[in-house]
Amino acid sequence: MKTKLQLIIMIVTLLALGFGTTLYKVKVLGFSFSPDKEETVWTVESTIDFEADGGPVKVSLNMPDNSAGLAVTEAHKETSGYTFSRNVKGKERRGTWISKEDKNGPQRIYYRVNIYRRHSSPTVTSGSAPALPELSQPFTEAYLAAADTLLEESRESAEDAAQTSTNLINNLNDPEKNEAAALLLKMPRESGGYLSLAQDLLTKSQIPSRISKGLLLDKNNKKKKLTSYIEVFDGKKWLLINPKTAQIEDPDAFLLWQQNHESLLEVEGGSNSKVRFSSITTKILANQAAIKSGHQQSSWLIDFSIYSLPLSSQNTFRLLLLIPFGALIVVILRNLVGIQTAGTFMPILIALAFLQTKLIVGLILFITVVGVGLLMRSYLSHLNLLLVPRISAVLVFVITIYLAISVIGVKMGSELGLNVTFFPMIIISWSIERMCVLWEEEGGKDALIQGSGSLFTASLIYLLMINDFVGNMIYAFPELLLVLLALILMIGTYSGYRLSELRRFEPMGRE
Amino acid sequence: MLITSPGRLRKRGIVGMNKRNVVYIGQNNKRKFYPRVDDKLITKILAEEAGIAVPRLIGVARYQRHTKQLAEFLAQEKAFVIKPSKGSGGKGILVIVGRDGNDYLKPSGSRVNDQALRRHVSDILSGLFSLGGRPDVAMIEELVNFSDVFEGFSFEGVPDIRIIVYKGYPVMAMTRLSTRESDGKANLHQGAVGVGIDIGSGKALNAVQHGQPVEIHPDTGRNLNELEVPDWPVFLDLGARSYEMSELGYLGADVVLDKFKGPLILELNARPGLAIQVANNHGLESRVARIEEEIRTCQRNPSERVAFSMQHFAS
Repeated sequence: MKTKLQLIIMIVTLLALGFGTTLYKVKVLGFSFSPDKEETVWTVESTIDFEADGGPVKVSLNMPDNSAGLAVTEAHKETSGYTFSRNVKGKERRGTWISKEDKNGPQRIYYRVNIYRRHSSPTVTSGSAPALPELSQPFTEAYLAAADTLLEESRESAEDAAQTSTNLINNLNDPEKNEAAALLLKMPRESGGYLSLAQDLLTKSQIPSRISKGLLLDKNNKKKKLTSYIEVFDGKKWLLINPKTAQIEDPDAFLLWQQNHESLLEVEGGSNSKVRFSSITTKILANQAAIKSGHQQSSWLIDFSIYSLPLSSQNTFRLLLLIPFGALIVVILRNLVGIQTAGTFMPILIALAFLQTKLIVGLILFITVVGVGLLMRSYLSHLNLLLVPRISAVLVFVITIYLAISVIGVKMGSELGLNVTFFPMIIISWSIERMCVLWEEEGGKDALIQGSGSLFTASLIYLLMINDFVGNMIYAFPELLLVLLALILMIGTYSGYRLSELRRFEPMGRE
Repeated sequence: MLITSPGRLRKRGIVGMNKRNVVYIGQNNKRKFYPRVDDKLITKILAEEAGIAVPRLIGVARYQRHTKQLAEFLAQEKAFVIKPSKGSGGKGILVIVGRDGNDYLKPSGSRVNDQALRRHVSDILSGLFSLGGRPDVAMIEELVNFSDVFEGFSFEGVPDIRIIVYKGYPVMAMTRLSTRESDGKANLHQGAVGVGIDIGSGKALNAVQHGQPVEIHPDTGRNLNELEVPDWPVFLDLGARSYEMSELGYLGADVVLDKFKGPLILELNARPGLAIQVANNHGLESRVARIEEEIRTCQRNPSERVAFSMQHFAS
């Protein structure tokens, strides 16, 4: 019973691991069950132009940040003549280009990033709310009254912080209808203007906010500008509000470049600097996108997986990963159905050969080779040879048959016969030997049953292996092998009847 | 009806291949004890030590050089059997029933000269008949003088009695009768007749060919109901005692009846098949369950076990 318990624990663990990882990859990393599903990828290019003054040059650009919804990977950062380095100060990430020698005249630096949509659920900051930002300048008497009135109005019909914020911005955007807003907009400000006023008002009504600059990733755009947004914290998460329309925008389409008062571009040793942005969208397969963004997030599930292999090895494994499915079919057919096969895993190897020859041609070739081989082998029986010389002789026969089929095929104008070489000859030799022994010991009927059982199994495995869905599933989710293992373990302990036994013991079932 | 339902089979206690492999063999037969039954020489030596009746071992040829001494060694033996120790399916068994000058006589009357005999032993040694072609040894044992009580029940040869022994308790027995269709082989799915034998009395219970009930032997015409194994408790006793000897919990014992020596164990099997259920028209499950229940309460010696089985498993 102890082993039984162990087995159950193992099966449950394997199932949980297999399905859990798969689910994680779908839900969090953005893998897709349908291999053809496409994802949009944005390539955003920033071009920095400036005039160098003739001395050493240092350019630093605030870099776009990962957000809950978007993963950013650097695609192109090196510019000839400059060394690139990345530095992080607090929450601020900057890329710095330092010239290798003195520069003069117009300079151009490219910085390109690819952006993938992430599939993690929006980060929910639980617990403490972020601190309220400090007021950029205090409201003086008249303005204080106006601010209070405006906030009062904004709060009136609002149910939550989000609505209060959008109402407030709507009011600020419509000074003709709202006197308080009109007054406040006239308030002389030291810096920041409109956005900083909105932020101060939000602070006054106890709503944490921040000003973010970034790109809205919507469509292809040659010339894009960084736009400013107000983000407000509604108690659970940050909401992105477009200050022009007072609409709450989808944060998944917003590439955050700059937050609060970080500077965008700093050029030392140059003047007339400016930065331009352009974006293009491309479609790539969802699973490819997930793998790339996974690499970027250095998710160990991706890093230590099949995807870290060179592409050619990945293709090999794509096939290898299918072999366990073949084993599962064999296990099911033998232990649940009760089909006899010549050699336990011989059908898998035959199925692999079928992959090269295609099913019908493969079946014909196999039957021909084994049939002729059996005839030739039966002659050997009279010679009473020892085992190893006997098998070796069969191997010679098999090669001869291969050659004969190929030559005859080509002479008759068909190259289909050449496919015969895909069959594993050692395995075929052993199969012929076993079937022949079976023929002598148990009779031709048994040999035929085993032979056709093997072919049936091989055909089923072949059909499974050429199935695109299965192939893509196991390639995208190799962890499903654990589920497969669990299934095999389960069948390994199955002590019920086989399908064939319902026939075999049929007379026993009669009353 | 071509197939039946699992429920019906379960109700009748029929054991399937998976259950046999996973439960009966998997839990009761330790792998390390397999050689005790797979190697007939080991079986014979263990049986002789345990005082279990087997055909007497005359000698063993282990090396090629032994083949040269065969003629001298067998000078005093009139009838004997040479068989590979690890042979399968009855391959490589040479039966000699008598002598004619320097030649040996086969049951068919054909002659085998000294050279051919030597060659046969040499073939056995080089593994011609063993599984996987591994080198083997040749056993020479005395010929069984088959009792004629089974005369007419078999198309060719003399039937043996297969007894399934579960943890030392005989649970079920059968005999396999060859037919013309089975080509003289006692192989049920080639068309031999399986006759279930009552554990309580040694009398035939039920006969089947190809899974269908039969009354008479298709070739000899003998009424199969008349089949009765004499000295039945001795047969069961041999089966029961082979448990202590082999330590295999699920065991098939093949017993033959010698005219002079009585029942003898011919060989043991660690993976006995399930056709016996069809021949008996009875499932193994309930009997095995009854034994498991019995084992929990007491331990018994072989003769007590035989008595228990004869009492509880009689039809």
